[in-house]
Amino acid sequence: MAALWLAGEALLPSRIQMAFTLATHILLVPLGVAMPTLTLLMEGIGIWRKDAVALKIAQRWSVVMAVQFAVGAVTGTILSFEFGILWPHMMGRFGAAFGLGFAIEGLAFFVEAIFISIYLYGWKRLSPRAHFLTGLALPPAGLLGAFGVLSANSWMNTPGGVTIDAGRLVSVDTMAALFTPALGYEFWHFLIAIYITAGFVIASVYAVAWLRGRRDHYQRLAFAVPFTVAAALTPVQLVVGDLSARALVQDQPAKFAAMEITWATRDHNPEVVGGLIDGSGAIHLGLELPSLDSILVGYSPNAVIRGLSSFAPDARPSVVESNIAHLAFDLMVGLGTVGAALTAWYAWVVLRRRRLPDSALFYRLAALAGVGSYLAVESGWVTTEVGRQPWIVYGVMRVSDAVTDAPAAFVWTMLSVLVIVYALIAYFFITLLLKLAARWRREDATETQEPEIRVPYGPPA
Amino acid sequence: MSAVLPNLIALVLLLGITAYSTAGGVDFGAGIWDLLAGGRATGREARHLIDQAMAPVWEVNNVWLVLSIVVCWTGFPVLFQSAFASLYLLFALALVGLVLRGAFFAFRHIAEDPRTHRAADVVFGVSSILTPFFFAACLGAIASGRVGLLQPSTPVWEIWFSPMAIGFGLVSVAATAFSGAVFLVGDARRTGSSELTTYFRRRAVIAALVLIATGTAALGVIGFQNPALFRAMLTGAGLPFALVTMLATPLVAFLVWRGIYRFYRVLTVGAVGSMVFAWAFAQSPYLLPGQLTIAQAVAPQATQVLLLVVTVSLVVVVGPALGLLIYLDQRTRLVE
Ligand code: HDD
Ligand code: HEM
Ligand code: HEM
Repeated sequence: MAALWLAGEALLPSRIQMAFTLATHILLVPLGVAMPTLTLLMEGIGIWRKDAVALKIAQRWSVVMAVQFAVGAVTGTILSFEFGILWPHMMGRFGAAFGLGFAIEGLAFFVEAIFISIYLYGWKRLSPRAHFLTGLALPPAGLLGAFGVLSANSWMNTPGGVTIDAGRLVSVDTMAALFTPALGYEFWHFLIAIYITAGFVIASVYAVAWLRGRRDHYQRLAFAVPFTVAAALTPVQLVVGDLSARALVQDQPAKFAAMEITWATRDHNPEVVGGLIDGSGAIHLGLELPSLDSILVGYSPNAVIRGLSSFAPDARPSVVESNIAHLAFDLMVGLGTVGAALTAWYAWVVLRRRRLPDSALFYRLAALAGVGSYLAVESGWVTTEVGRQPWIVYGVMRVSDAVTDAPAAFVWTMLSVLVIVYALIAYFFITLLLKLAARWRREDATETQEPEIRVPYGPPA
Repeated sequence: MSAVLPNLIALVLLLGITAYSTAGGVDFGAGIWDLLAGGRATGREARHLIDQAMAPVWEVNNVWLVLSIVVCWTGFPVLFQSAFASLYLLFALALVGLVLRGAFFAFRHIAEDPRTHRAADVVFGVSSILTPFFFAACLGAIASGRVGLLQPSTPVWEIWFSPMAIGFGLVSVAATAFSGAVFLVGDARRTGSSELTTYFRRRAVIAALVLIATGTAALGVIGFQNPALFRAMLTGAGLPFALVTMLATPLVAFLVWRGIYRFYRVLTVGAVGSMVFAWAFAQSPYLLPGQLTIAQAVAPQATQVLLLVVTVSLVVVVGPALGLLIYLDQRTRLVE
């Protein structure tokens, strides 16, 4: 069995490796991009209200931010080499267009790396106001970076701005290649997603603290600020997500058909919640809501939805891929809906009672919201990437034409090594965070200051 | 304009690689000396200094690498495809080394058990050797002319084990050890420890001698495997840079040996950087010797323009920011 795999094609291990490394990197991105904003918000509160506790929280968050940033950088570097190692044909053919976004990300990342250092150094060496002001460089840099990567990804989904002659890229229209149709929805949806995720993930730490009995100004503040940001954005996300889905009907109809597991092109198309499709187009399990898909897309039960069977078999996601994209999509929407419900609960208590909730059930759910948002982000990416199959560049180049000519055994080996290395990194990363947390708890309990643990980008301890 | 721009983009790529070789090289070199510092008790002081020295820069240097690779695939997609199609194993090994190095550098600060700590030291040190070796081996393989256009033209293992790949790899290890030791001399002087200063002075001189020896041997290998490149390095466009390297390396060794602390670090950067330049200029206008020129590989013009804009923005934004960081770093040292 194993021998068969090793002798097989490089395509399967390459896809697994890409999915594995991307899925890992994407766990680090939300905090990497959005945490600086939340930290600055906290620092701003501290300066504005002369609140030493808020400043302490901000300083601690900045340390977590740096550690997180370093791991993001490592996993990101691996990704960029993988483009060459796994997909050389795609890069050689389209690098001049696909790469534009990444060139911008490179710039943004450079700025971010330096300003994170400055921010960490600056706590003790700059006046509070100067420190806050230098920190203001971080959110736009993160934003620019996210723009770059999302632009590259959108280009793969709705390629544009290029002239191809005999398979060769002869000219590029920079603006058209950077701003492809998919960017319009992907960028905003993603941006909101990472702020939601960062907010819920950070707040979930302090929800756990609440469940463990901590009820002080520190806990309240550190919970309320990120949770409020995330809660305010969650309803917006439902609207933006809905817009994305609608846009897909036009731009990427095969992906949409897979997401909704629609087989035949028809009107009165039902919305299937859960469920699986088989090779003949029959739906198993799942809950069919009659005509709802047609209504959602075209505001009328008569709206016609294009089905998978209207695409050539080699130009649409396979049955397995369709099912993956479908379930991932349902998971994302489900989690978004649960998140919105939690938000409603929070808003009701805060606005009506003018205080934070004090129900254990609420904090249990809030503690889960962090994991939930990571799941939503992952499933969103699975929807996007798996739903695009078999294309690496939608309608232009197949994944199987992009893949490396290296032997499968090489890719399997590299994949195994990477899995081990990532496990190590995850272990180190979590150990370091737990150490930091334990130390801070000790400091709060004894009101002393221990010598700093050195973190990447930070000044020497 | 249209002829200048591609060369400018190639220059940006070259500067990225050179910055990584010099700034990153100092970092890798420190890792090598960390490995060679001996057991936990003997090596404690040297390791402590190395830790201090690497603090603010060990992550920022990575940026040069990513920048180079992005400029490569965006600016010269065909070069990127060709290099990876032939050299995937070398890149993968360099990459694994890079990641292990970063991970274990961070980890040794949090490992409490001495045995684990020691293991982390070793992994960190070994990967500090492997990473520059394999990255430079990629450059050597390209310089040897064996990397085929778009796809390998000979069996890949012949490319990986080509003498020039190995030669470039060894030179780069010697060069990083050299620049690492020289900069550690400076760091040791700042701490005021004359013992550590002497310790690294001695190592800097030895590394310089090793570098001169491997460099000469590698030059011989080049003459044997790619005579055209050899000629261009010694009589053509590479000559000025080759001369700088040949003069600066012994000069640094002399300065450090005699304890004359003037310009020794600038000269080190010059020596290592010129080595990269000597190769690149000797090989130009070819990106793949005899097969692919800058003009043939370059991306369409609009892409070149965007890359130039990004580069200029980088200089404008990052320059002052880097200045501020270095200023804060100096103040740290004053505070302590
Ligand atoms: C907190 C995270 C989160 C939440 C609550 C949602 N999404 Fe989402 N979604 C993402 C996080 C995300 C993402 C990870 O950010 C994706 C992946 C690619 C992208 O641009 O955003 C994504 C992609 C994505 C796509 C694919 C876009 C494409 O392939 O071009 C669609 C159609 C939706 N989403 C629709 C929705 C709907 C209808 C939602 C709720 C009702 C929803 N999303 C909630
Ligand atoms: C979901 C979309 C992505 C976003 C928003 C994103 C954003 C980021 C951010 C913010 C960082 C800095 C580290 C951090 O803050 O955690 C980073 C690092 C990096 N990302 Fe991603 N990334 C994404 C996906 C990718 C992909 C698909 C690649 C593949 C090329 C990639 C390449 C990189 C690289 C190379 C770095 C490290 C840069 C360096 O070390 O200098 N990213 N990314
Ligand atoms: C040349 C560039 C890229 C290539 C070749 C590529 C290719 C792939 C492939 C083949 C998969 C596996 C799909 C499957 O198993 O069915 C995948 C998954 C994924 N890709 Fe892309 N992709 C690229 C760029 C990006 C970018 C820019 C992003 C994000 C910004 C991204 C996000 C993801 C994610 C999150 C997954 C995971 C899906 C899963 O877990 O199944 N990809 N990619």
